[in-house]
Amino acid sequence: MPQKNAPPKKRGTVKIMEERCKGCWYCVNYCPTKVLVVSPRLNSKGYHPPELKEEPPDKVCIACHLCELFCPDFALVVEELK
Amino acid sequence: MISAGKKSTMELLREEVESLLRIDRLPHVWCPGCGIGITLNAFLRALIRAKIDPNKTVVVSGIGCTGRAAGYVNMDSFHTTHGRAIPFAVGIKFARPELNVVVFSGDGDLFAIGGNHFVNAARRNHDILVIAVNNFTYGMTGGQHGPTTPTGAYTTTTPYGNPDRPFNIPHLAISLGAPYVARWTTYHLMQLQNSIYTALHRKGFRVIEVISQCPTVYGRRNEMKSPLEMMEYFRKFSVRKDDATFDEMELTYNGRIVVGVFRDVQGIPTYEERYNDIIRRAQK
Ligand SMILES: Cc1ncc(C[n+]2csc(CCOP(=O)(O)OP(=O)(O)O)c2C)c(N)n1
Ligand code: SF4
Ligand code: SF4
Ligand code: SF4
Ligand SMILES: [Mg+2]
Repeated sequence: MPQKNAPPKKRGTVKIMEERCKGCWYCVNYCPTKVLVVSPRLNSKGYHPPELKEEPPDKVCIACHLCELFCPDFALVVEELK
Repeated sequence: MISAGKKSTMELLREEVESLLRIDRLPHVWCPGCGIGITLNAFLRALIRAKIDPNKTVVVSGIGCTGRAAGYVNMDSFHTTHGRAIPFAVGIKFARPELNVVVFSGDGDLFAIGGNHFVNAARRNHDILVIAVNNFTYGMTGGQHGPTTPTGAYTTTTPYGNPDRPFNIPHLAISLGAPYVARWTTYHLMQLQNSIYTALHRKGFRVIEVISQCPTVYGRRNEMKSPLEMMEYFRKFSVRKDDATFDEMELTYNGRIVVGVFRDVQGIPTYEERYNDIIRRAQK
């Protein structure tokens, strides 16, 4: 029987500069653990920025930085938890 | 939980990206999901990783949405006239050979109005890096067809489909002897960044074509209404093949996109080196 995977060791959190976001959803779509979701809030330009919604222990930000590379608007900063 | 530990390489990189941007000008003008921002991010990260002094780097753009990049970098930059990014860059390199000169411009700017400059600068092997953002159209002026628009594509000026054949940019660059020629899409985040990093260490006329999405005026007329649909096209239809034949490099309408590093040779004398050699001989 396969062993249940241990919760991810590397963890992170995402600082979202909401005013820079234009709601393209690359971050939401390509986050490997699907912890970024479309927020119901609107920024001043009328876009819905993403928000971090984790469900520990497994569904968490693993600080892969992918969203930071995808974001065309320089709106995301991934911070690693130590 | 969060402690003020030592910052990781990726965290430091993100901080430096911020410092190389004119953040007072953000949010930038590019539309939601436009690939130009992704390409700019990859370029800045490659520059930082290559430990190239931003004070010894010049970014030169022409006119177009892509051309606006020159206005967002916190480095010396030139937003030149339409089509003339390469002649400006060549002049800068000639006058100040110690500078790293990077052209960051669009397909219309570099291959339509600026096509002649591209061809001749490549032929002479000027020592500049050209990052060519190919979104298949003139984004800024509302989505007209240009010399990189795939055959059959719908644009404001080809409402029944484009009858022209597009430039095969890697083929063109290789045929002119460019020592470093690569193509990626904006989905290839790390490959693109690594390729720019490598090209920054090379000499001569280096060309990186970046297939980029313009959802606003191209995608919506060509069955890709949202930024995500365009990104998914790149994800699903790209194939890496470094040894691709010229025929395989051809781009077709909503078809396969062959990506990779198609040429990477070193030791070809640059125009600047050959010129200096002549000066030396003349002064003997
Ligand atoms: C001499 C001159 N001719 C035409 C124009 C109009 N014009 C502005 S941007 C542009 C095309 C830009 O296309 P591209 O380089 O692909 O940039 P994109 O907007 O797609 O990033 C044109 C034709 C101009 N500004 N100057
Ligand atoms: S760093 Fe990775 S895991 Fe964390 S939110 Fe971004 S894409 Fe998701
Ligand atoms: S990738 Fe950037 S611009 Fe797009 S939705 Fe996420 S935060 Fe907003
Ligand atoms: S028109 Fe196209 S190329 Fe120009 S900013 Fe909008 S999406 Fe980008
Ligand atoms: Mg264009």
